[in-house]
Amino acid sequence: MTTADSRRIATALARRTGRGGDVRQVADAIVALWRDIERQLTPIIGQRGVAALHGRSLFLTARVHPWLAVAPDRVALAMDLDALRAAVLQQDAAAAMHGCGDLFTSFHDLLSSMVGPALTDRLLRDVWDPPTSGTPAQEPNG
Amino acid sequence: MTAPVTIHRLATGVPGLDTVLGGGLPEFSFNLIAGAPGSGKTTLAHQIMFALASPERPALYFTVLGEPALKMLRYQQQFTFFDSAAITTAIRFINLSDEAVGGDLDRVMERIAAEVQAAGPGLVFVDSFRSVIMASASEGTATSKLQGFVQQLGVQMTSWQATTFLIGEYFTEKDANPVFTVADGIFWLRQSLERNSMVRKLELMKMRGQATLPGLHTFRISNTGISVFAPSPAAPNGEERGRAPRPRLSTGVPGLDDMLGGGLPDGYSLLVAGPSGSGKSILAATFLAEGARQGERGVIASFEQHPTQMRNGTLANLLDDGSVLLVDSRAPDLSIDEILLLLVTAIRRVRARRVVIDSLSGFELGLAPTFRDDFRESLARLVAALAAEGVTVLMTSELEDRYTDLRFSPYGTAFMTDAIIVQRYIEVDSRLRRVLAVVKVRGSAHSDALREYAIDDGGIVLGAMLPEQEGLLGGRPTRKPVPAGVSDA
Repeated sequence: MTTADSRRIATALARRTGRGGDVRQVADAIVALWRDIERQLTPIIGQRGVAALHGRSLFLTARVHPWLAVAPDRVALAMDLDALRAAVLQQDAAAAMHGCGDLFTSFHDLLSSMVGPALTDRLLRDVWDPPTSGTPAQEPNG
Repeated sequence: MTAPVTIHRLATGVPGLDTVLGGGLPEFSFNLIAGAPGSGKTTLAHQIMFALASPERPALYFTVLGEPALKMLRYQQQFTFFDSAAITTAIRFINLSDEAVGGDLDRVMERIAAEVQAAGPGLVFVDSFRSVIMASASEGTATSKLQGFVQQLGVQMTSWQATTFLIGEYFTEKDANPVFTVADGIFWLRQSLERNSMVRKLELMKMRGQATLPGLHTFRISNTGISVFAPSPAAPNGEERGRAPRPRLSTGVPGLDDMLGGGLPDGYSLLVAGPSGSGKSILAATFLAEGARQGERGVIASFEQHPTQMRNGTLANLLDDGSVLLVDSRAPDLSIDEILLLLVTAIRRVRARRVVIDSLSGFELGLAPTFRDDFRESLARLVAALAAEGVTVLMTSELEDRYTDLRFSPYGTAFMTDAIIVQRYIEVDSRLRRVLAVVKVRGSAHSDALREYAIDDGGIVLGAMLPEQEGLLGGRPTRKPVPAGVSDA
């Protein structure tokens, strides 16, 4: 992970939450970003594949941000975004932004360590830098 | 309307495969890629996909397992054909693990059909389903379920206007799997194990509408992906033999050309057989040096000495100044087709006129054990293919001196070559001396003399015949008894 990548993720998160947002807006933005990631990656690695990477990055990030220790104990079939949302709502907006910024960074790193930075960038480009704001990250087929 | 439909043939991007296919992959064909785990199925599929996929001809690649899709992307990236830029623009991977959970094959089929309809791809790949189905049913029903599913999928795939591939390790040759009937092409990848060596082989068991090259074709997987060693076509110029007299090439050894009847005929193959240390490699180097002197380029495949520690100074100089190209033949488990491809590529690259294989004995050892049983057949093919290239070939062969029987090669290869020179040791006056003879030059008069020779810094120096000795070929000649009348005089 380069500093440029972390900054890019932080920018994406800030763009979604808007200025001076309260923690509810932050939580909505975080869940929306995870949905974009899921939409982008599920076709390629499956729902379980995404859930596995998500669980692993939660586990790793919880070492620094213990409030993120919401990873399920058993193998998950899908991401549990309700649990994440609930945990985020327990924090103030700044702590939530910080913790989840690290969480996305950790996820990006993990994927990058598996398939390399070039392909990771290609797969997640539309999540971090959406082509036009307001449109879905992936265009419908056909 | 009598014009037949024109089938476009696609270049697969796999070196040698289009030749084996008989000109490329038919567009809109439905193909099976079968083989054991690790035989290279996924690599073959990816290599073809990256070569053929483009934004105008997009590819869909369906996989079934969850995390292994990540692993696949991870490891396939190690091949140079992998192009990250193509992912999401020309190639889409689609994971079906969610549909396949619980073994609901109807859902899998629906999803595949829906994705294909939505994307309108030019290429479709469906990777193995075995694990899912085996997990969801008992052994007996799993097999029949799988067969049914694969056949249904096959029928579906045939109806799409796309070139399609079904990849799996679940096919066995013995079962008359109905999908074999539906498929237009069947690629079977094998790994042949013998002792410690493993050789990869590809067989095209079926390809509708075109003449493929039959048999097992060896291939290698390197960082560039798969390369298939397609056999060379048969020699086209065999018939021209025996017409106008061929120009002759000098061997570079003073006197030897005369023994050959005026030099070695152009395009001939010469076997130099002799025991260890008799000077075969020296003769070969002299042959190449003589070519270089006349401005001809040469190619050598050496199985004897490592090129950097080549003791033969003549050859080392020729390699240094570029007049002779060395074919690197040190890869393990070689096949004849691979070495032939290396040779032919080198010959064409430098437009070589002279080729040396030093030696056949070393060559045989370099081959994977699985090819050794067919060594003679393979060698015959090699000689024919080199003849087709129009080069003049000198091959050396280690000959164990038995003294009791006169042999020219350990392989019975004598009939394949156009000319033979044999070298032997003899014992005279408590010294080991060397003699050579020209045994054969096809379609040409040649000397029948048995000549003594020595080796000095300049190479081979022919000496005189030894008329006073007899029984030379037995190794222990005796002085001829002097006729009685002469001694009295």
